[in-house]
Amino acid sequence: MKMRRFMALAMATVMGASLLTACGGGSGSGSGSETTTTAAATTAAETTAAAASGETEAAETEAAAAEKSIEPTTITFWHGMNNKQEQSLTELTDKFNAENEYGITVELVNQGSYSDLQTKLMANAAADTLPDIAQAYNNYFTDYVDKVVALDDFVANDYPDWDDILESYRTENSEYGKITGVPFNKSTYLFFYNKTMFDELGLEAPKTWEDLEHIGEVILAEKGLAAIGYDSMCDMLEAALRQHGEQYVDASGALFNTAGGLETLEFIMNLYNSGYARLVGEDNYFSDSLSNGMIGGYVGSSTGVSYISTDIEGKEFELGVCPVVGDKTNAAYNAGTNIVMFAKDENNQKAAWEYMKFMTSKESTIKWAMDTGYLPIRTSAYESDEYQEFMAGDITAQAAYEQAPYGFVSKASFTGSNEIRNVVSTTLNELITEKADAQTALDTLIAEINDVLQ
Amino acid sequence: MNRKSFKGYAYLAPVLVIMLVFTAYPLVKAIFMSFCENYSIINGSYKGINLENYKDLFDDKLFIRALGNTTLYVAFVVPLSVVISLIIANLLNSHIKFQGLFQTLYFLPYVTSVIAIGVVWRWIMNSNYGLLNYILGFFGVEPIGWLSDPKYSMTSLIIFAVWKSLAFNIMIFLAALQGISPDLYAAARVDSTPRLRVFFKITVPAMMPIIAYAFIMGIINAFKVYNEVFSLFNSKAGPVNNEAITIVYYIYDQFYNNYKYGIAAAGSVVLFLLIMLFTMIQRLPGRIKAKKEAAQK
Repeated sequence: MKMRRFMALAMATVMGASLLTACGGGSGSGSGSETTTTAAATTAAETTAAAASGETEAAETEAAAAEKSIEPTTITFWHGMNNKQEQSLTELTDKFNAENEYGITVELVNQGSYSDLQTKLMANAAADTLPDIAQAYNNYFTDYVDKVVALDDFVANDYPDWDDILESYRTENSEYGKITGVPFNKSTYLFFYNKTMFDELGLEAPKTWEDLEHIGEVILAEKGLAAIGYDSMCDMLEAALRQHGEQYVDASGALFNTAGGLETLEFIMNLYNSGYARLVGEDNYFSDSLSNGMIGGYVGSSTGVSYISTDIEGKEFELGVCPVVGDKTNAAYNAGTNIVMFAKDENNQKAAWEYMKFMTSKESTIKWAMDTGYLPIRTSAYESDEYQEFMAGDITAQAAYEQAPYGFVSKASFTGSNEIRNVVSTTLNELITEKADAQTALDTLIAEINDVLQ
Repeated sequence: MNRKSFKGYAYLAPVLVIMLVFTAYPLVKAIFMSFCENYSIINGSYKGINLENYKDLFDDKLFIRALGNTTLYVAFVVPLSVVISLIIANLLNSHIKFQGLFQTLYFLPYVTSVIAIGVVWRWIMNSNYGLLNYILGFFGVEPIGWLSDPKYSMTSLIIFAVWKSLAFNIMIFLAALQGISPDLYAAARVDSTPRLRVFFKITVPAMMPIIAYAFIMGIINAFKVYNEVFSLFNSKAGPVNNEAITIVYYIYDQFYNNYKYGIAAAGSVVLFLLIMLFTMIQRLPGRIKAKKEAAQK
């Protein structure tokens, strides 16, 4: 009798738990758990009605729009945004759904994390069931770039101010020889540090490689702590090489088998071998370490700032943010995805383009940046009074703005680019754990990269 | 075909179709893919049919490490889990207070998402503020980097996996224990047999079929380990450079992150053969016994 009750309870719990986990997402097992966010509080019918009633918004759109005819349709948008980012995305999308004059409804589908999104896009590319539009990095679709709709005609005929978009983003989206997307959620790597600790030790925000070494030396001697960490090892390497005037990787292989490349690795390996820098270890990001006073500072994504707590009891500190250091030149790594189009139906393509225009408009990118901490993608947005005012009260946005002129985006439009990211990160981790010297590090990295591309 | 058997096949058809589409076809396709050089999942193109994928696979030191790790994992997790669950199931089956509560507690890991459990265990095993190091500290043990030191990666994974797999084994063992006739125990009590002897002479033999089942299922599942690695190391396969990579993790990584579909397929064929081999070996004793019994009759 008891056993039966136990079994019944167990069964009930199994069912309950599987319901719970179904919404959990995040599992890489490809269990296909999808949380559909019906962004549209408004139904398609309502939007059509709004459009039909001839609202004044129509006046805003340029004359070309008058000739355009788009049938009312529903567009699916796969994204990997969560928490307040998802909230802001939903608000913007709701606005688009309510205000567009064609009766277009954009349905947001949350695919979990970036890696889940990447995995699902690939599986659906194979099954030929891709969504109309999706967030994507260029290295997601190296294998199915022919399924990405070329946007060149749309940009040429129906995009008023393409040049207003920051150059590095335009370059990134043209890497494949056609325009593959529009920039969306853009971030940059910044140096976050414990300003209280820096002030106490008489340290300034670092500007050069030497400053960084000095800070590492002082903090190690005075506090017994590492002063520097990098959330992403492969991005750190590429940024350091560029700062030293070197090149990283292209489709032909590693490009830093040079004297400058060796110097760069001498700098990097010295930071780690001397104990000035350390690996992130079992934490995934350094934000927790910084919050707990366990590291002097770290280089991480500008959007990660919300994960830093400066008010843990007994560990309160003032947060400092500054651009990443430079050497021979300045180079700051920009990250973040673009919106790419897979829609096959011509009407859906046109409808999706309306949405992409809306999301990259000056107004939207300002709201998006202020809500989420991502960066505006337009010069005019940076210069707007609204954003300038916001920036005055936000040190992260200030630092990001300061390094915007020398931001770069890693080239990813070749087969193997994604594998190289993983290989470089794990190889660097291993070299640092083994306390390898610079020459060994250089040789190993070059060999591993070329091995991927052979 | 007569009408009677046609009807039978008609009833079977739905399940046969599902099996063909979802089991047989993927299996054949995977085997085919494993022989295609530079196979592209997107358009189905390939350079040629040869053994290149298998050559690459066995040339890849990461795959060799995955093979070694998986073997180590199977060798430790399955026996440890079976032995420990057998002991716990017996304790739970004796007349203790709050029996129901304990049964539920031990079953919880089975019904909780591995990802959620991984989060908890990442905290337990954290080198700086983890529970495990805190407790070990009482015994004068220096903090161990369970999840940050490559040396301990496999140990941590095995501890985690044993704990995770206890629940299911305990459940089936408990069910088996309830099925043993109380008369046997009563007879043993009349003879005042020592408890340990009762355990080995009555309980274990009576449970032998279910223990064998636990072993076979345990080994098959252990060969396919992926979730445990993914969740314990937070979507990586080890702290530094894939120290705890397993075969399925390797396959997943090649397929989804490196877009090397052919190599991934070759890896899955190797895994398939391995599991088949081990299952056949395990069934050997049972078959020999059956043959002997048949011969005696």
